[in-house]
Amino acid sequence: MLVDFGLITRAQKGDAAAFNEIVTAYRKRILGTITRLIARPEDVEDVAQEVFLRLYFSLDQLRKEEVFEPWLYRLTVNAAYDYLRKQRRRQEFRMSDLSEQQVMLADAMAGGKAEQDDQRHKKVREAVDSLLGAVSEADRILLMLKEVEGLSLKELEKVYNVNENALKVRLFRARQRVLKAFGSAEKKEGSG
Amino acid sequence: MNSMRGNDDQNLDALFGAYRAACGTPDASANFMPELWARIESRQTFTFSFRRMANAFATAAVALSLAVGLYMAVPGTNQNLNNQSYIEALAEASTPDAQDFVNPITLELADRPSR
Repeated sequence: MLVDFGLITRAQKGDAAAFNEIVTAYRKRILGTITRLIARPEDVEDVAQEVFLRLYFSLDQLRKEEVFEPWLYRLTVNAAYDYLRKQRRRQEFRMSDLSEQQVMLADAMAGGKAEQDDQRHKKVREAVDSLLGAVSEADRILLMLKEVEGLSLKELEKVYNVNENALKVRLFRARQRVLKAFGSAEKKEGSG
Repeated sequence: MNSMRGNDDQNLDALFGAYRAACGTPDASANFMPELWARIESRQTFTFSFRRMANAFATAAVALSLAVGLYMAVPGTNQNLNNQSYIEALAEASTPDAQDFVNPITLELADRPSR
């Protein structure tokens, strides 16, 4: 935990300085998570502010120290989910995107340690964003938390408040959908 | 087929890895905190106005209930209605003019044609 519970208790009592300290401690982590969840850097700060806004107005409901971080994660996931749902900028699974995706994949695998320019990063982000169009927003977030954020099943259990088996099933199905989309793109690429 | 699937799995993992690196961890802008507090204050203002309006409505409703209660409780107002029973009120309403409606019908048998 990045802050002690005393600070949270002070923030619960309306201490603005304590709340500022909490935001400062978690800001970077939340910004990073949101960046990976929504893949649109221009909107990351807006969503992060929404997370801390929700935190501010629901902080008084927090009772136990150990649930703070999973709870903050849940707020982050919910804000990202709301954002993605609002945006509905689900890209069509286009052949052009997938070709680019394959190029990026080869690039990432062959030259992972080569110099990384912004343009290439942008293309990778767009490729993954496009690929994740094959699953729902909720599954996209779950996949991102597991595969990109690297959360364990135990951690995900705390965030989602569901049992491990249910999570495994859901993750498996989401990954299968993405794999199917990924495979069909490869087939098209091969035949084209 | 399985090897193909395994290959896809590996490729997907590599793509996720590349994505993680591509996203990086951005720094917050200088306006992050001021904007956050502006949003908090704006939400608080909205909540406060809503609460104030709700309180005003609740107060008005209580005042109206009290006024109606007092009006009904004060002796002298609507005394007729208060003191009369239903039967008494009905009897009073049956004025002499209205008696025709309740008197038995009489037939003039003299005018009846004989066989």
